Amino acid sequence: MKILIIEDEQVLAESIKSYFKANDVLCEIAHTIEQSLDKIGIYEYDCILLDLMLPDGNGFDILSELKKQGKTEGVIIISAKETLETRIEGFNLGADDYLTKPFHLSELLVRIQALVRRKNFKGNNSIEFNELEIDVLAKSVSVKGKKIDVTKKEIDLLLYLIGNKNRVLSKSAIAEHLSGDMADMLDNHDFVYAHIKNLKKKLSEAGCDDYIKTVYGLGYKWQND
Amino acid sequence: MTKKLLHKTLRAYLIFSVIVLLISAPLFYFMIEKLYIEDADEALFLRKNEFIKYTVPNVKEADIPIWNKMNRDIKIEPTTPSVSALKDTVFYRHFYDTLYQENEPYRILNAPVTIDGQPYTFSARINLVETDDLIQSITGLFAFILLFLLVGLYFITKRLSIHLWKPFYKTLDTIEQFEIDKAIVTNFSKTDIEEFERLNQAISKLIQKNTAIYNSQREFIENAAHELQTPLAVFQAHIDMLMQHADVTQGQSDILTNLNTAISRLNKLNKNLLLLSKIERNQYVSRENVSINTIFDKQSTFFIEQAEAKNIVVSIELQEEVTLKCNPILAEILISNLFLNAIQHNIYNGYIQIKLSKQSLTFSNTGIKHPLSKKQLFQRFSKINSSSQGNGLGLSIIKKIVDTNGWAINYQYLNDVHHFEIRF
Repeated sequence: MKILIIEDEQVLAESIKSYFKANDVLCEIAHTIEQSLDKIGIYEYDCILLDLMLPDGNGFDILSELKKQGKTEGVIIISAKETLETRIEGFNLGADDYLTKPFHLSELLVRIQALVRRKNFKGNNSIEFNELEIDVLAKSVSVKGKKIDVTKKEIDLLLYLIGNKNRVLSKSAIAEHLSGDMADMLDNHDFVYAHIKNLKKKLSEAGCDDYIKTVYGLGYKWQND
Repeated sequence: MTKKLLHKTLRAYLIFSVIVLLISAPLFYFMIEKLYIEDADEALFLRKNEFIKYTVPNVKEADIPIWNKMNRDIKIEPTTPSVSALKDTVFYRHFYDTLYQENEPYRILNAPVTIDGQPYTFSARINLVETDDLIQSITGLFAFILLFLLVGLYFITKRLSIHLWKPFYKTLDTIEQFEIDKAIVTNFSKTDIEEFERLNQAISKLIQKNTAIYNSQREFIENAAHELQTPLAVFQAHIDMLMQHADVTQGQSDILTNLNTAISRLNKLNKNLLLLSKIERNQYVSRENVSINTIFDKQSTFFIEQAEAKNIVVSIELQEEVTLKCNPILAEILISNLFLNAIQHNIYNGYIQIKLSKQSLTFSNTGIKHPLSKKQLFQRFSKINSSSQGNGLGLSIIKKIVDTNGWAINYQYLNDVHHFEIRF
């Protein structure tokens, strides 16, 4: 997967790039509108991350340009500014998702994956990991071809863990991901433990290997030993 | 107790007029009486002089009884020791009026005259107005004047207050409607009274200055919060990266966890500040019919899960279907903040009771065992207990939303339970 990061904060762009590298996402970075338009004109990307406040103008200009050129790349706006108007304008100009800074890199990664899955959708939309198969559309999980009973939240958690495989995920990042819009209302991250425990139990009962590792003091990690 | 300006001036006028009238009435009485008596005396002396000049030379002693018979008010009597008049004397005497059966006051002048060389006493009398009658008519007159004056004063002051003070009351209304956090333009109407015009100018200058300061502060908070988002994102990203290192020791991982917690708090604080300034900037003005029950359906699962972490029992009683005309986003934020507040400041194994009716929404929860200070409750960053995770903005957001919608919030502490009631 290849994505373009349009972000004038170089340090942030670099850390996104290095985090994604291990999860098979190749990143190119542009810091200005000019650089971005050059790159978009030459290469094809699976997804574009777009900051709105750029030194040579507004990120919305890039959205308009993409529309004009008939490009179909998925666009995720990553902006510090979030008002109802910018959100609506972004979606109207063809953005697919909107993520307000600050965010967890893991969250950004699964959003990109979900977006690319939607864009490349050809009849089936499933993710496989060894004996495990998740049907994103049907919201079902099967182990070795046998369906298991999981909740919507557990599928969400599973997608998040697998999407960030080999990455240590902090409890707060998982909690915020699972809470969605309510993330700002989180008081306590302890409920993550309960969800992880339930998921682990259901998977192992179905004969799935234990891929969810506890990283002491930090969080959890999906890992294939 | 405050009274209207009109009443104060009117009262002063009234008291002054009553005093003036009370003092002047007796004065007036004595003056009138004095003038009247002087006039009566003058008339008596005039009669005497006329008598001496025109009558005495023509009168014989024998004519006296006829004279006395013909004249009712002027008598000529022989001078006896009892009616001796060596010189002119004036005095009062009452005579009984048989016709009206009452005593009539008279003024009498006795003067010595000589008729045919014999000493006689000339006695002339004038019927006077009765004192009672005089006092009565003066009192009546003064009562009428007093009444007339009071009614006149009342209406004049009232008219003056309505007309003269009209610009003042207009200014007062304008100031009363002014709220610094609402974008209401204050317009003072022009007046031709110098003092009021000055007042208007001074107040509008004050308002302009304060609004400008307020706006720049609000903008500052908003800009600061926005500007913090990017460094926060960098900070967050680097912590996420740091966690990926395989050789993180236990001590380092503790530090990372603390950093994560801190950044999460910082993030929430920043978002809440932004939210507050957005509400203040009237970003959420659009209103529609919002079902409160639906919001509860949407949010309760999440918050019950959050409450379980503290072993808190949540009971939600939605007694009826409640639909309110308000901003949907603000309604959701209001309820989630109420939920969060009830969980955050709760105790382990506590409970939360929520009741919704068409009139009100009540969140009752266990918590610290003493009432909270009502004064500080809704102020920003007023933390009730320092150990709590809250950022001290939750309740001020609740208050702001309640105010924006014209509802009322009431806090009560009853039987160790904190009650927050919102009346729609």
